Amino acid sequence: MNTRLLLFALAVFAAAPATDAATTILRGPYLQSATPTSLVIRWRTDTTEASVVSYGLERNALTSNTKAEGITAEHVVQLTNLKPGTRYHYTVGPVAVPPPTPATEKKSAAADAPPKNGVFSFVTPPVVGPAKPTRIWVLGDPGTKGKTQEAVRDVYYTFTGKKETDLWLMLGDNAYPDGTDADYQKAVFEMYPQTLRTAPLWPALGNHDAKSANSITQSGVYYDIFTLPTRAQAGGVMSGTEAYYSFDYANIHFICLDSHDSDRSAGGAMMQWLKADLAATQRDWIVAYFHHPTYTKGTHDSDKDSDSAGRMNDMRAIFLPVLEAGGVDLILTGHSHVYERSWLLDGHYGKSDTFAAAQHVKQTQDGRADGTGVYKKRRGRIPNAGEISVVTGSAGHAGSATKPPPLNHPAFFISLNEPGSFVIDVDGLKLDAVFLNDKGAKRDWFTIVKE
Amino acid sequence: MPRRAIFTLCCTLLGAASASAHPEIEAALGRLNARIAAAPTEAGAYIERGELYTRHEEWTAAEANFLVAAELAPAHPRLDRARGALALARGEPASARQMLDRAVAVSPTDHEARVLRARAAAALGDTAAAARDLAVVLDALPSPPPELILFHVGLLPPAAALVQLEAMMARVGPALVLQLRALEFEEATGRVDAALHRLGTLATQSERPETWIRRRGDLLSRHGRAAEARLAYAAALAAALALPDWLRTSPDTRQFIAELRPLVNPST
Ligand SMILES: [Fe+2]
Repeated sequence: MNTRLLLFALAVFAAAPATDAATTILRGPYLQSATPTSLVIRWRTDTTEASVVSYGLERNALTSNTKAEGITAEHVVQLTNLKPGTRYHYTVGPVAVPPPTPATEKKSAAADAPPKNGVFSFVTPPVVGPAKPTRIWVLGDPGTKGKTQEAVRDVYYTFTGKKETDLWLMLGDNAYPDGTDADYQKAVFEMYPQTLRTAPLWPALGNHDAKSANSITQSGVYYDIFTLPTRAQAGGVMSGTEAYYSFDYANIHFICLDSHDSDRSAGGAMMQWLKADLAATQRDWIVAYFHHPTYTKGTHDSDKDSDSAGRMNDMRAIFLPVLEAGGVDLILTGHSHVYERSWLLDGHYGKSDTFAAAQHVKQTQDGRADGTGVYKKRRGRIPNAGEISVVTGSAGHAGSATKPPPLNHPAFFISLNEPGSFVIDVDGLKLDAVFLNDKGAKRDWFTIVKE
Repeated sequence: MPRRAIFTLCCTLLGAASASAHPEIEAALGRLNARIAAAPTEAGAYIERGELYTRHEEWTAAEANFLVAAELAPAHPRLDRARGALALARGEPASARQMLDRAVAVSPTDHEARVLRARAAAALGDTAAAARDLAVVLDALPSPPPELILFHVGLLPPAAALVQLEAMMARVGPALVLQLRALEFEEATGRVDAALHRLGTLATQSERPETWIRRRGDLLSRHGRAAEARLAYAAALAAALALPDWLRTSPDTRQFIAELRPLVNPST
């Protein structure tokens, strides 16, 4: 930059309504709708101001700026033309960060180690298709705001250490009791600030979220807070709604369904979209997630028609056959505040008394390399090759200890009434998963390998 | 018995109904019961409790709570919508419509009330009124979901539905289910070339174009255009054969290929 330009830039920044010392970031920044070349950064301030993200490849050289239109307290800025699989450093605020002078460059380099001045970083998703080691953190029903939620979170932070979370899923009931803005503030934004600003969060709608949101009008707190792909921006087929959507990450296809509020009939829009989405994907792995479990004998009972107004029946009898025919590998649900992990299953769409292991269990091993063996599937889109169904709805609380849930559904290899979260590592054609309880113990683990 | 005592009694009785079976309703009920115990004349809490019961299909308990709310605050802005929703859920569209008429009159921008009223009108066979309400809601919502758009176009004659679908897709994007419905309308109104064009676009937008190309073949075949149909089937076959090995050799793709071969060469 020549001297005249530098002086001009400095003058502009000096004249700009400099960061008001009183302005406080109340929420975020948090990352949404990440694709290999774009990403949405959102945050909330206590006063209205311009929405600017300054970013760059070097922590002390945030040379690019993107500004959203208008003055607001709810900031939504989309970065575009990013490089896939690349680390970007960024900061948010009302004015662009000035380009470094030799003096500031030296100063910030000296103090580079711990994050300061709110400079954060994220890594863009890799190019879609080729495999890339991917860590996924899964939280079901986390939003209790209590000590248990904190303990589950801290166990994961210790477990993952320096290994970065590439993306994280929330399976609904993200903020108790009513999914209000204040509930989300405490249960999500004040609970996971570091993950929110470094890894894109992909949520599903739960019944508690739906108390303050409406899928049919796409309005309310949940829909205001999250920016989700309605136009297949992140891969998959265009759903036209944030209530259900899909996206790709490396060689994994993720499908989020709305088990609470959208039409769950066989001829409904969500089903038509799901069928087309499954038919269109070319990814090695298909992971589906939604709130209401297909099977559970935890704090909910999938055998009871009246429980959750039949939503579990619908997801099992109507959606599960389509997911299985579409070659789904893993189904993640919450709602029941326990951990239940199935055998490698296919074709069980009735109540638990119709479960027949000889018919519905595709592979009888425990899925563990240190046990009776990992699950093996053929690579490709194989209909009805079996999936693992995981209910992991205890990231905020487990069932009662004094009146424990029955946990006796025969579809499950293991059932635990313990708080915890679920972690998935995908490395090429190998998928490893582990359930970590709130004390830091690995309480379940399994592996699926594709050949 | 003093009024306060009556309401305290009401809150106890109305909040106790058969909730024990569902932990989900129990917790929410507990909170509402506590709220009502602290402020027994707050109509809003009764309405919320009634709505909770409505969601869990406990009609009698829901109605009882709305009755208390109606006595406390007959002009509460949410009461008519809540009672309308209950009536609709109980399969009483005529009375639902009356209540929702009042709800919309009080709050013309209450989109949920309008959608409910449209459902009631549609259930009563008054598709014109239902379509009018939905048009208002679709205009007002920044990003109306496909369900609502499909509900609306389902009430219109095919030609008008097609125009409306195109307008909505221009606004919210060509969501797959909207495209599928447009295809149905195009075929129903004899606009085969428009449907073929749409299928072509869907194919170029898809990572797995072969199924869309095959649908082109099916459409051409249904309309007696056998030679063009064969070309489409050949293109679909070529697309399937061009898939990466691991997908091409999948059972569903193998079956797809096996089904296409005789369509490409009917004599073989
Ligand atoms: Fe739930």
